Amino acid sequence: MSAHAKTISLTVNGTRVEASVPPRQHLGDFLRERELLTGTHLGCEHGVCGACTILIDGEPARSCITFAVACDGRSVTTVEGLDDDPVAAELREAFSTEHGLQCGFCTPGMLVAARDVVLRRPDADNPAIRTAMSGNLCRCTGYVGIVNAIRRVIDARNTNAG
Amino acid sequence: MGEVSTAGSGAGSGVGARVRRKEDDRLLRGRGRFVGDIALVGMKELAFVRSPVAHATITGIEIPEEHRGAVFTWADLAAGGVKPIRAVSGLPGFKVSEQPALADGKVRFVGEPVAVCVAATRAEAEDIAASVFVDYAELPVNSDMLEAVTPGAPKVHDHWPDNVFLETNVGGNIAEIAATAPVKVSRTIRTARQCMVPLEGKGVVAHWDRHVEQLVLTTSTQMPHIVRAGLSECLDLDQGLIRVVAPDVGGGFGWKGLLQPEEIVAAWIAMRLDRPVRWTEDRREHLVAAANAREHHYEITAYADARGRLLGIEADAWVDAGAYSVYPFSACLEAAQVGSILPGPYDFAHYRCRTFSVCTNKPPIVPYRGVARTGVCFAMEQMIDAVADAVGREPWQVRLENLVPPEKMPFDNVTRKHFDSGDYPESVRRAVAAIELEGWRARQKAGEPDGRLIGVGFATYCEQSAHGTAVYHGWGIPMVPGHEQAQARITPDGGLELRVGVQSHGQSMETTFAQVAHEVLGIPLEKIKLVHGDTGLTPYSTGTWGSRSMVMAGGAVATACRTLAERLRKIGAHLMQAGPDGAVLEGGSVKAGAAAVTIREIAHTWYRAPQLLPADVDRGGLEVTAGYKPGSDHGTFSYATHAVAVAVDPEIGQVEILDYVVVEDAGTMVNPMVVDGQIYGGVAQGVGTALYERMPYDAEGQPLASTFADYLIPGFTEVPHVRIIHMLTPSPYTEFGVKGIGEGGAIAPPAAICNAINDALKPLGVIVTNAPMTPEVILSAIAGKRGAA
Amino acid sequence: MKAVDFDYAQPATLDAALELLSREDVMVRPVAGSQSLGPMLNLRLAQPELLVDITRIAELRTIRREGDRLVIGACVTHARLEDGDYPDVTRGVLPSVAAVIAYRAVRNRGTIGGSLAHADPAADWVNVLTALGADVVIAGTGGRRSVPMTDFILGVFETALQPGEIVAEIHVPALSDRARWGYYKVCRKTGEFSHATGAVLIDPARGVQRCVAGATSGKPVVIDGPALFAGGCTEAAMAAHLAGSPAADDPIALRTHTVALKRAIAQVMS
Repeated sequence: MSAHAKTISLTVNGTRVEASVPPRQHLGDFLRERELLTGTHLGCEHGVCGACTILIDGEPARSCITFAVACDGRSVTTVEGLDDDPVAAELREAFSTEHGLQCGFCTPGMLVAARDVVLRRPDADNPAIRTAMSGNLCRCTGYVGIVNAIRRVIDARNTNAG
Repeated sequence: MGEVSTAGSGAGSGVGARVRRKEDDRLLRGRGRFVGDIALVGMKELAFVRSPVAHATITGIEIPEEHRGAVFTWADLAAGGVKPIRAVSGLPGFKVSEQPALADGKVRFVGEPVAVCVAATRAEAEDIAASVFVDYAELPVNSDMLEAVTPGAPKVHDHWPDNVFLETNVGGNIAEIAATAPVKVSRTIRTARQCMVPLEGKGVVAHWDRHVEQLVLTTSTQMPHIVRAGLSECLDLDQGLIRVVAPDVGGGFGWKGLLQPEEIVAAWIAMRLDRPVRWTEDRREHLVAAANAREHHYEITAYADARGRLLGIEADAWVDAGAYSVYPFSACLEAAQVGSILPGPYDFAHYRCRTFSVCTNKPPIVPYRGVARTGVCFAMEQMIDAVADAVGREPWQVRLENLVPPEKMPFDNVTRKHFDSGDYPESVRRAVAAIELEGWRARQKAGEPDGRLIGVGFATYCEQSAHGTAVYHGWGIPMVPGHEQAQARITPDGGLELRVGVQSHGQSMETTFAQVAHEVLGIPLEKIKLVHGDTGLTPYSTGTWGSRSMVMAGGAVATACRTLAERLRKIGAHLMQAGPDGAVLEGGSVKAGAAAVTIREIAHTWYRAPQLLPADVDRGGLEVTAGYKPGSDHGTFSYATHAVAVAVDPEIGQVEILDYVVVEDAGTMVNPMVVDGQIYGGVAQGVGTALYERMPYDAEGQPLASTFADYLIPGFTEVPHVRIIHMLTPSPYTEFGVKGIGEGGAIAPPAAICNAINDALKPLGVIVTNAPMTPEVILSAIAGKRGAA
Repeated sequence: MKAVDFDYAQPATLDAALELLSREDVMVRPVAGSQSLGPMLNLRLAQPELLVDITRIAELRTIRREGDRLVIGACVTHARLEDGDYPDVTRGVLPSVAAVIAYRAVRNRGTIGGSLAHADPAADWVNVLTALGADVVIAGTGGRRSVPMTDFILGVFETALQPGEIVAEIHVPALSDRARWGYYKVCRKTGEFSHATGAVLIDPARGVQRCVAGATSGKPVVIDGPALFAGGCTEAAMAAHLAGSPAADDPIALRTHTVALKRAIAQVMS
């Protein structure tokens, strides 16, 4: 343990957590190694691939280049915390129907990013979906299934809203 | 022997049904279990000291006093009896390299592991690694394969006479054609060195299980049984003392199809320290130390008649195989494969190809999705377009002129590849129609308002997959596939457990093998459980590679289930007091006339009420291990034509893909959704090969990319919304007529996109022949022309 | 790929932050959103002993109108600038540029001040704020000073910041109603670093005619005045202006920068 360890308190998936963390520990490692929330995956640890995307105070962020110590007082939501989230539930259903995942390693980050697109860009056409999702890399699916899944959820929500 | 049927209407949940995947729910909830997710009590983390130079003698390793006992080198491993990796090929003339798991006095590529550091956390292990001082006496470097084969080039392995793992020569007798052919076109063609970049890096957790007295290595691998065999050889440990387990594997594409030095080190450290240890490959380690695929160079000439009918192909090909021969595929598989598959799907008579597997100061080459085919297709399909250009015909017409026609199937080509079935020309005709070539030609003629240039390109290939014994024993490498095994077991509650030795890393096997079993037994998918990726629980298999799993393990599952079906039928008939001849297994029940008994009831009888069984019941019971080989073990041949329309921006050299069509024939599809997914994903990787991915090296052998900011893989906006058209010619040799399909999507895109770019650049009078076709490559070609003019 | 062990402080006031940043006994670095520094830390390209997180300093997170300028706190995120909950004086420049910086998950954390302090030549704000004629307010223990963007960015990852100083505010002048704006980035992938950036502003009411060639191998190349806007201005003329600059390291770079500039200018002229 680091001589510089700091005590932080934050909310993780709705539960208050108090922890002593070395400042160099990034949020992804904190969630995975200390909270055992291994659904958040590390694909590059330099902020490009998006596999580690989680929500901080409801907004998508890279957990690999955000240090846990900087999240004192924040609310963090991981894929495990989206079990009861209605948009995530629609996305899970659509991802499965449209074969939007193969190995599943990028999937948690994809879901977090896709949820943000659905909520923030209800008007998105397919090119807009692709641009909005471009911060998440997938090496298996060729993206077609993911785009179709997000399309499906956006369309269904617009139909229901209309 | 495989029965041929074309089951699968698309309905239900058997063969041919588009059913959702059983593995999805856990992965969508973040409940998968990848290697990095595993933590064992007392587990230590490993970090490697890696060579910062490409070629050097190690003159000293200084370990700070406070870290003694936490740092290990080859001296420690060797003293412990660890042997270097030897991946030998039986092909005549092959030169053997020995790869110690940690450098033994010499380093041969940047990123080669030199020492391993053990600590409570990865961060602390990296701290220790940073404190280890290694003294390198640098040696001259081979950073380019063509220079490495010139006289006087520095030698990667001192005791070799040169830097060539293996030279092969295929065919010959082309001098007469060369002298007389009306059309002769030559090209220099090159593909770049790439990284495979599964989103999950490699990872290992190793520990010694004191209870069962076994080394347990949980590793992110495509081939657990082969890793076990390799570990056994290097650790000098009986295979029975090793268990290799693959959990969820986050993509592989070939990178996880080898025995890795880091696996050996982790295993040894776990035993030495009697503590669980974990190593996870980070992205920089992957990009630097695992830049290990696809680097080909061709000098190729095509001979044709005035219509574009191929008369012969002549080529010299070099593959940069890197510093060592990898286990099990060896350093020569890729280049030697070039010699045997360069002719592609075409019917021509004269052929000569010489190949070199060149040893350089780069990471060892590993077969990447499509293996040599991506490079071969890139070369051959450029030649078809070059011939078309020379004879003034459309490239698709020249393809039709030369493709093996359906009436010649099955067909043995010039290198004696046995093409099993299909209509290759029809794939071209459908691709021409689907891409709407005429429309693009009209638009080309009219010109674009933004000044971009439109081009259309095609590429056709056929792909030998699910290679059998006949193919592999010739290579003489540490792995030869024979009969693939599957075990099927009815559980006491009437469910089914399947055990196979292949390993899914995204291929959806938990679903598709269940579909195969359902097709035979009628047991619902939710009651079928696949156990795979564990040498302790599954039959031996060479693993998942070469688009083989559905053909081989799927065939074995079907075979095992058929045997089970027969046993179930006989017991069921007995329980209904019917004669065995009149009873049928249907929809999960054995039926005789109006009577029926469910598999669940039969299972109950076998396990819980054996007194009710017939006296002559098969003593094997409701558990079967069956082996399978297709009717021909030369492999299946799937094929495809890819068609692409691009817009090339001649001012900035960028290429936009406007439309992309794949017309492919994978025979019978077990799950069309999964097949499509494999194709989409393959094309995306092919787009990367075509336009983005390149690991550049400087003259000192330093890799010039080490992050995703400088090694670009295609994302959402770079990959087109591919359209797929299926042709369904069942293989005559396999269960259900399936053919291997996992790799195919990645084969043709570089060729098709290159041909499209050259079609677009035609008005400028320039061509590009090297992948990736980056803005720099395209602008240089254009500038070169301008400069020359 | 883990950062070296470092200490960390998260002061609530600017004075407290500057106090920490002025320490000479340790290697200290300020950090805001950590979207550029985070990767460098993980890659151990940066190895500070103390990281001073300035994102909790309330005054650095404000946006306000001050006369004919918009004053943006250094710790305002790209996402906030994208979403536009402020009196935009730039007629859409700020939100539209913010929207094409990297990816939303990065924009949610990354800050305008952090981007300037990092001074990657390919960064959007480095070039756009130069074209807009913004000033950077730098804070140190000795007080504040205002530096025009053209003097703030000195080269690749080089700024006018002295040890112990941080970017406190960015002052963006209001554009007039007739101002026109062009922006073109040459990226191989969405969100990727630019290989050539053209940023152009014409604001006749304020006498501004400015072209910026960015993502060069040095500081942004600024071409002020009417030269490139004349009707007959050719690609050759643009190339001539860029010749010898960090936008002209080799013929292909020069060509690409020329095209980026040409396309940005075309947006203004159309």
